[in-house]
Amino acid sequence: MGGKVQMEKIVIKGRGVIAGIVEGEALVCPKSITGWGGIDPETGIIKEHQNVNKGKSIKLKILVLPGSKGSNGWSCYFGAARVAGAAPKGWIFTKIDSSAGVASAVMKIPTIVDFQDRQDPCKLIKNGDWIRMNGETGEVEISRAPHLLPAKYPLAYQPFQPTVS
Amino acid sequence: MMELSDYEDRLLAGEAGKLKQVAIQNIVRYAAILGARALCEVTKATVFCGAHNYLSACKSEDFDVVFSRMNLASDVVMSFDTTYDNCYIQSCVSPCDQNAYRPFGQSKAFFEKNRHYLDHARKAGVNIVGTCSPYLTGWLPIRGEHFVTTESGVTVIGNAIWGAMGNSDGIEAAFWSAICGRTPRWGNHVNENRAGTHLVQVETPIESILEWDLLGKAVGEKLPTGSVPVVTGKFSKVTFNKLRQMLTALAISSNCEMCHIVGYTPEARSVDDALQGNEPLGSYVIDDSSIEEAYDLVCESEAGSVDFVSLGCPHYDIDQIKKTADYLKGKTIHPDVTFTIWTVYPIKAMADENGYTQIVEDAGGSIYSGTCPGTIGDCFLNQYEAFVFDSLKQAESVRSASGKKVYYGDAYRCIDAAVKGKWAGRYRWKKL
Repeated sequence: MGGKVQMEKIVIKGRGVIAGIVEGEALVCPKSITGWGGIDPETGIIKEHQNVNKGKSIKLKILVLPGSKGSNGWSCYFGAARVAGAAPKGWIFTKIDSSAGVASAVMKIPTIVDFQDRQDPCKLIKNGDWIRMNGETGEVEISRAPHLLPAKYPLAYQPFQPTVS
Repeated sequence: MMELSDYEDRLLAGEAGKLKQVAIQNIVRYAAILGARALCEVTKATVFCGAHNYLSACKSEDFDVVFSRMNLASDVVMSFDTTYDNCYIQSCVSPCDQNAYRPFGQSKAFFEKNRHYLDHARKAGVNIVGTCSPYLTGWLPIRGEHFVTTESGVTVIGNAIWGAMGNSDGIEAAFWSAICGRTPRWGNHVNENRAGTHLVQVETPIESILEWDLLGKAVGEKLPTGSVPVVTGKFSKVTFNKLRQMLTALAISSNCEMCHIVGYTPEARSVDDALQGNEPLGSYVIDDSSIEEAYDLVCESEAGSVDFVSLGCPHYDIDQIKKTADYLKGKTIHPDVTFTIWTVYPIKAMADENGYTQIVEDAGGSIYSGTCPGTIGDCFLNQYEAFVFDSLKQAESVRSASGKKVYYGDAYRCIDAAVKGKWAGRYRWKKL
């Protein structure tokens, strides 16, 4: 008793676009976060009414998003969070788009984008997973206590070998 | 590896000063993130000027500090004192009206701070205009012209209706492009990326401007991220205002930047034309129920008292103000209701000249310019409990931000609600 909980670990790989190695707790928004007012930049707390993570903060998390959503003001709320000290540690986009690209250029935090269909981080990563990401190689290491895994692994949880792009 | 021109190399080397150097450094970093291999020249830009609320996160009263940290993502403070000569640059909405501040719960000090921010932008080369509808003042990129804009609806309108080339980018990148005249050659700036990816068959009549607004939401709700819809249907009496309303609603309901409407937009003379020979990745049908669901998502279901009615998102043109004044003539707005119309300053001046402003004011309403309720923000919205809008974009954003009662419908029914002080069940949109 008292020993370490064994963590299940899988690794996926996207395109690393802003270098840096960080690790932290995952916050996954499978329908993204709306632009213009979707977060409170002072605290990083998600304000969007329809967001599944409303009330949770992006601050110091590894934020996992499919891409951007809505207003061309998408990037500036994240930029404001950066200035206010409420930025995530790193972030991961299933597929890069122009608004997510600007936000990444502004945030300058480790960023990994453009995953293959079978490795969609929005499907593979769950809130609370421990993520270690390498923004240079594009590797994302997902760790989860086994009791949090489904009884039988669905296809999505099959361990992956990192692919070379 | 990115291919840069001599001009771009010189800017990167700092030969045109620190501001242009930082702007192009940011554009090159942005291009690398996207995976772009070259940049293209931007000749139309709208930029987001003024003392916007989100800028307060910077906790500084110094314009240069705020501009450098927030818009340039730089901790080195520099002056915003130049822009790209070969670009037509104008400002988007600011958080203040041209003249008034008291009705919005704003202080004179804040109004003057906003003016101060706008003055800085003007001195750098930005035409201070203050509209989400830059085409109302002649900002019209033509087919193949590369543009940047801070208004999401204008991104789609520019790509779809005019065949100009633009991405959503973001507020910061619009400034970078306006300063250095470049944006990544990626996404909609590349012809083959503009091909349709998904077919959308509209099987219900879409006629009124409200139904076009709802169509935008219904399509946006169905689209997978990053797709380009090819919309077909038996449309008639299509106007620019109907299309702009639809594309504005589409933009905020998805991350869509380009939309083909077969028979109406220039890159969609036919379905094949819009698909550029590619197989569609999927197809969707929009029927009566899709439009009804879109309406029910936005408009409060129970009738009730209202105290705020707003028309003009996107900003009204002069004919929309005329039609409003014609309908309002001889009527009186309920004393508990604030009735507002939103436009851009030259249109407001035309409304004054034509006597429309007088009619609206005689009825107890107001015409404001250069901003809108959502952009002004909480200091204004917190004064009211139940809102009425003729725009899906404004209705959704106010509902999302405030959680208060929001009604949404045809402009004439919105005026009826303003006169009665109540939203009645019969004002709800119904398919005829």
